[in-house]
Amino acid sequence: MIMKKKFAALGISAILAAVTLAGCGSSKNEASNSPSASAPAATESASAPASETASADNAVKLTGDFEIQYFVGGYGDKWWKKVIADFQAANPDLKVKESGGPKINDQMKPRWIGGNPPDFVYIDGAGLNDRQMVEDGQLEDLTEWLKDAKNIDGDLITDILAQPAQQFDGKVYNIPLVLNSWGVFWNKALFKEKGWTEPTDFQSFLDVSDKIKAGGITPFIHTGKYPYYINGSILYPAIVSANNNDFSILQDMAANKVEAYESPAVLAALNKIVALRDKGFIDKASIQINHTDSQMLFLQNKDAFIPNGLWLPNEMSKDIPEGFDFGFIPSVTQEAGGKVVANTSTATVAIAKNGKNKEAAKAFLQFIFSKAQASQWAELSGAPSNIKGDISSSNAPNFVKDAAKYLTDPNTVVIPTITYNADVDKAMMDATDALTISKITPEEWVKRVTDVVKKVQ
Amino acid sequence: MNSGTAKWQRNVFIASFIIPTLLFFGVFTIYPVLQGLYYSFFDWSGMSDNKTFVGLDNFKELFHDPIVWRAIGNDYFLVAGKVVGIMAIATFFAVALTRFGFRMAGFFRSIFFIPNVISVVVIGVLWNFIYNPQIGFLNAFLSLFTQEQVTITWLGFTNHTIWMLLPPAIWAGIGFYMILLIAAIQSIPASYYEAASLEGAGQWRQFRDITIPLVWEQIKVSVLNIMMTTLNGSFVIVWIMTEGGPDNSTQVMGSYLYQMAFRQYHFGYGASIGFIILVLSLITTIILQRLMRHETVEMS
Repeated sequence: MIMKKKFAALGISAILAAVTLAGCGSSKNEASNSPSASAPAATESASAPASETASADNAVKLTGDFEIQYFVGGYGDKWWKKVIADFQAANPDLKVKESGGPKINDQMKPRWIGGNPPDFVYIDGAGLNDRQMVEDGQLEDLTEWLKDAKNIDGDLITDILAQPAQQFDGKVYNIPLVLNSWGVFWNKALFKEKGWTEPTDFQSFLDVSDKIKAGGITPFIHTGKYPYYINGSILYPAIVSANNNDFSILQDMAANKVEAYESPAVLAALNKIVALRDKGFIDKASIQINHTDSQMLFLQNKDAFIPNGLWLPNEMSKDIPEGFDFGFIPSVTQEAGGKVVANTSTATVAIAKNGKNKEAAKAFLQFIFSKAQASQWAELSGAPSNIKGDISSSNAPNFVKDAAKYLTDPNTVVIPTITYNADVDKAMMDATDALTISKITPEEWVKRVTDVVKKVQ
Repeated sequence: MNSGTAKWQRNVFIASFIIPTLLFFGVFTIYPVLQGLYYSFFDWSGMSDNKTFVGLDNFKELFHDPIVWRAIGNDYFLVAGKVVGIMAIATFFAVALTRFGFRMAGFFRSIFFIPNVISVVVIGVLWNFIYNPQIGFLNAFLSLFTQEQVTITWLGFTNHTIWMLLPPAIWAGIGFYMILLIAAIQSIPASYYEAASLEGAGQWRQFRDITIPLVWEQIKVSVLNIMMTTLNGSFVIVWIMTEGGPDNSTQVMGSYLYQMAFRQYHFGYGASIGFIILVLSLITTIILQRLMRHETVEMS
């Protein structure tokens, strides 16, 4: 009897302990299994018939495993699925593994920390910052390779890039794949109906805003919750315009040079925001709302102008009212007759420094930076790609074609990809917010931001 | 001999319950806390595969960071506001629904409990709409009494925006503590109240001298629980409603931790903020327990 009880007690404890351990075990398994969840997709694409691109691949045979990490956001994953399938077909001996999804940046984080990253990474979405990855030594230095790298068609890759790669201390680590632009939108239909003139420079922007305000509509709304929209569309182009269209000032700012922030061009740009504020053009609701709310108010014609990116029509496609016609200009802060300044917003691709199959990763770069992919990207993702190429005959949406036109126009100053230090970026966003609600002056903006810059230098 | 085996058996039986729990607690609570403390001694981006040991530098920096102090201030503001607001309203409702014999008591009890069933995320979004300056309920309601349309930006003041987070937080908390107090009040023998009213004590006197002393344990638990959940969990409502903005005016420690660790890539610094949250929670718990134990003695 006593023995029985003893065994029962031992049994209970053993079961409970087993449950505990099983809990640990299964959670571990899950973690290591998640990347391979996309394996079926990879094998599926392997069986796809070889496309004509296969013939172009006359280099060494690629073998082994090759893993691609891509974030799935506003641009979707159609292009990635297609291009990976094509690449797999062209390299049948290579085992291509795709790790993609909207949460992939978080899911893959332990592997980057553990020194076991995927070979190839698309840097987009929350949780990945190219400047930080470079500082952390996670990305392969591509400077030398890119100098004479040719794509599968035999073109020099640097020749077919619409915007060059960003340099970190003179070195290249990542290549822009998507080329989008910040700017200011309005509703052409509403402007026509009310007889307002579409803005071409700062003075005309102020003039028409006066009329709009008199007409009972608030001229300008932005998202104060995410102030990088107003910084990207208004402040940075304004700084470049005030700096004689020389965008190197922004690159100096990104390189944490204090003098750049203290330049009169920065103050001049900030004073343009102050002008909008003091004339009462900025919708008071802006400070507390997120981007979606600001976009909804804009689509309801409650506000006439909105700073945003070219993805806006795509993002809001379900909510666009009948007859709404997007007007767009990359910048409104230039002097009359001055050049338009387009601040680009890019997403880049890179190779992991600790990747195991860098050869395949480089071959993949040569594969995707080809002319054929320019229109394929535009069609499948609804955004202009960073590859030069005529997309006018493709099935890409019209606003994408318009944007591509703007970005290749010789009268547009195109600001290349610039990533600021995350602390400085946050300081600029907070300061701009504070400026728009009259909490600080432009001089205080500069003081605040330079204090942070000095700290992170 | 026989008693020795019995004792051993008893111990095995107890251990079979304690050890698994202890293991769970160790793996999922103690270990992460120690790990967090360990990371707080490093300068680490949270992504890199190498970390630099910096000793107590993160903590030193923390004391010179004005946003940390504002976050701590906001946290304690929310604690104080929620304790006073939730306890006052929850006690009022609990007494009203038990002592005054409403017909609709059950109905009201369910109504007041509803916010507790809703996720905090939904509450945040809901109140964002209430506070929306253009299409919000609050401005629309106020506009009924004014000539011009009211356009107050409730979540966009230059300072003190944190005040606006108090109503949703209180509204969301009342139900649970009300139920807790109702249960406690119902367990008080009715004879006490009968005796008191025979002696000529009014409702107020009965509330002060019978109800409060006899539900003091529940009040104490409620206050401690509000304090702890606020210090550790105010992150959610702040992040949903303002993300700590505008210009960091609604930052609490939890949101600043997230901002630093995952948005600005200072994981070590974030870990040190987390450790400060733990220390402050412990200290506040001890202080509150001391304070309220003292009052219990006085009451009884």
